[in-house]
Amino acid sequence: MAETATTVRSTRLTTSEALLRRKRGWFFGLSGDRVAKVVFQGNAAISILVLALITFTIFRDAVGFVPMNRHNLEIYRLAGLEFTDHLRREVEDYSSFNRYLGAVRSDRLTQLQRAGLPIATAQAQLADFDAYANRVADAIAAHETVLGTLTETATSLKERQKVAQDTEHARADLENALPTATPEHAAELRRQIEKMVPEKINFRTEVQAMKDQLPELKTANVALATAISELAAHPPRLGDAALDARLTRFTELLRLFPAQLDAATKRMEAWDQLKPVSFAESLTAFAFGREWITASFWQDWYGILPLLFGSLLISTIALFIAIPLGLAAAIYVNQVARPVEQKFIKPTIEFVSAIPSVVLGFFGIAVLGESLRKLSQLPAFDWVPGFPFSERLNATTAACLLALMAVPTIFSLAEDAINNVPRSFKEASLALGSTRLQTIVHIIIPSALSGIMAAILLGLGRVIGETMVVLLCAGNRIQIPDFTAGLGTAFQPVHTMTGIIAQEMGEVVRGSLHYRALFMVGVVLFLISLLINWLAQKIVRRYRIAA
Amino acid sequence: MKQFLSLSLAAIVATSAIAAEKIVIKGSDTLGAKLVPMLAEDYKARNGDVAFEIAAEGSTTGISAIIDSTAQIGMSSRRAKPTESSAALAKGVTLKPTIVAFDGIGVIVNQGNGVSALTKRQVEQIFTGDITDWSQVGGTPGKISVYTRNTSSGTYSDFKELAMKKRDYAGSSQKMAGNEQIAAEVAKNPNGIGYVGLAYLHDPGIKTVAIDGALPTEESVQAKKYPYARPTFYYTNGEPSGEAAKFVEFTLSDEGQKTVRKVGFVPVRTVN
Repeated sequence: MAETATTVRSTRLTTSEALLRRKRGWFFGLSGDRVAKVVFQGNAAISILVLALITFTIFRDAVGFVPMNRHNLEIYRLAGLEFTDHLRREVEDYSSFNRYLGAVRSDRLTQLQRAGLPIATAQAQLADFDAYANRVADAIAAHETVLGTLTETATSLKERQKVAQDTEHARADLENALPTATPEHAAELRRQIEKMVPEKINFRTEVQAMKDQLPELKTANVALATAISELAAHPPRLGDAALDARLTRFTELLRLFPAQLDAATKRMEAWDQLKPVSFAESLTAFAFGREWITASFWQDWYGILPLLFGSLLISTIALFIAIPLGLAAAIYVNQVARPVEQKFIKPTIEFVSAIPSVVLGFFGIAVLGESLRKLSQLPAFDWVPGFPFSERLNATTAACLLALMAVPTIFSLAEDAINNVPRSFKEASLALGSTRLQTIVHIIIPSALSGIMAAILLGLGRVIGETMVVLLCAGNRIQIPDFTAGLGTAFQPVHTMTGIIAQEMGEVVRGSLHYRALFMVGVVLFLISLLINWLAQKIVRRYRIAA
Repeated sequence: MKQFLSLSLAAIVATSAIAAEKIVIKGSDTLGAKLVPMLAEDYKARNGDVAFEIAAEGSTTGISAIIDSTAQIGMSSRRAKPTESSAALAKGVTLKPTIVAFDGIGVIVNQGNGVSALTKRQVEQIFTGDITDWSQVGGTPGKISVYTRNTSSGTYSDFKELAMKKRDYAGSSQKMAGNEQIAAEVAKNPNGIGYVGLAYLHDPGIKTVAIDGALPTEESVQAKKYPYARPTFYYTNGEPSGEAAKFVEFTLSDEGQKTVRKVGFVPVRTVN
């Protein structure tokens, strides 16, 4: 190094060599250049270390979810909540008959009003129908009574179990405090410990009382079957072909119910209270759970599907809007625009990403959501699927704003990708006599496709991780979107993975099951982001065209 | 971290020349949005240099703040659950509730909605999703949009208990972060229904529904005629002490209770 230093004066050194060369000017035994190198190295190391730490803590807090949820599900089974839910599902299924009749009724009411009848007269005309609907609703009353009894027993049992568990915890904590306590404080602690006797619950005998309801339930099943055959034989007639057809369909569905109820009763008879819950079951309850119910008096469920579908629905709509905008702008700016236009368009689009998402969220609530709703109410737009809708906060409102946030990402990266297509490709194509449009469509875009795909993926990453906008504008309905609505699904309120973490994390008890469930959602988000970035990198590397 | 911050802050404050007392109050949005800040202002006007730190994020936070000793007063619109009491006991904390006001939960619909009275049973059916259309309760046909508070709010679980026989909300219900948001959405949505604290019943664009013939008023709440009324609490670790004790006392004084009335809650006793 030292002898070459004099000869290499005229040629440039590589950066690493230049940093390693000895210079005068000592600083704690290091030359200035070395200090610089150490600082750079140190900073890079710190970033990686911090990233590793964050990842580790997220996973550490999430992992505890599985055993805790397993315990949660075990109690669900032991205390007879599962047993009760077999019946609950049937009773809830039955209530869909009431809703079916309600829908028919409201359609008929609209018909009568359109025909010019005053509302009181129309309601009076429906009196027979209402009487029938009430008979249908009342037929399940006996089951509802049994369900009520079971519910009460199971909840009180669960509550007692909770209290017993807590008492045990408290007792253990006080016992741990004994050795270090002063004598008089220890005496006080002992008094407290004596007061705390956790109840020993014998779940088998307690649940036996619930199983003893089965004969009553079977009697009720027979009575219901009789009532249903009676009801299905004489449906009311409304004098409108379409509605009467729906009522006929209703009777067919109603006839199927007793068999379903008997099957549920058989399941209740075969139900095994002491069957253990596996870790896999606990994990699948999260990964494939269709319900996210917290702070319930009955049973908390932490299923990620409603949130995952909400996130995916919003992202899909957002990309659907953002891809054409971002790509078209990128192609135009790079291939068609005059320099003056370029100087104006590029900074403008990139400026959008400088708008804080909270501001966009407020804009979404106050302006965009409201105007979309007003637009949907216009009779001229009735042909649009999902119109008219009455919630101004829904998936589309949030997705429009997210699209706005994804456009700059997609635009910049796609523009870079197009810029990297070797000039010779374009020139060769033009020299062969193709038009500029043909060149763009057949040469430039296919060559830049890998970069464009990466741009789209990173745009998706931007959208799926956004929190503030979805929290404010998505409507926060924790339910798997109803895809039977076709394209109208886009106008349903949804809740998202990022939204649920933001909404509930500040308010859960540290270390509780709910807290860990939120961390599990965080892990899923983390994995999705990781997958997106990995895919983007892979695509770019795999399909890069050598210049 | 929070404790470290508050400790270091306390150290800084202690060493500074102006030794200002500080009261940290956390918890219920129902109490913390309007009432407690107003009480704090009045209190400051009388007692000078007292600093307040008020965070309103839901009753669960209030009670857990007392358990974790990160606040002197926890505001709550529900009683502590047995699990919370025992968690407190385990940490050597005794949760002491003090009733500071009564609150009614009003059921609200859009101003333009034809429905102005519902039975308790109908309310239960609407919020649990048994009834999904306004025509089923005598309104104009239209799909009901249910707005509720988010899961950590005390009002959320209170309403379950008071109005829904502890059943779960309909899956289609939309979770809003606060009373104001519910009022705003219902005001904008002709098919909306939601519930808010008494203080929010006079927001524009909404109207209150009579439940079994009773509207939530001071008389009906104190006479226990209105079904959805509940006490609201300050939770403290045992008997409050120092500045916090004075503030609790001030809240229960005649002057404090007049503020309670002014904000739209019902005083704990008859105040002239």
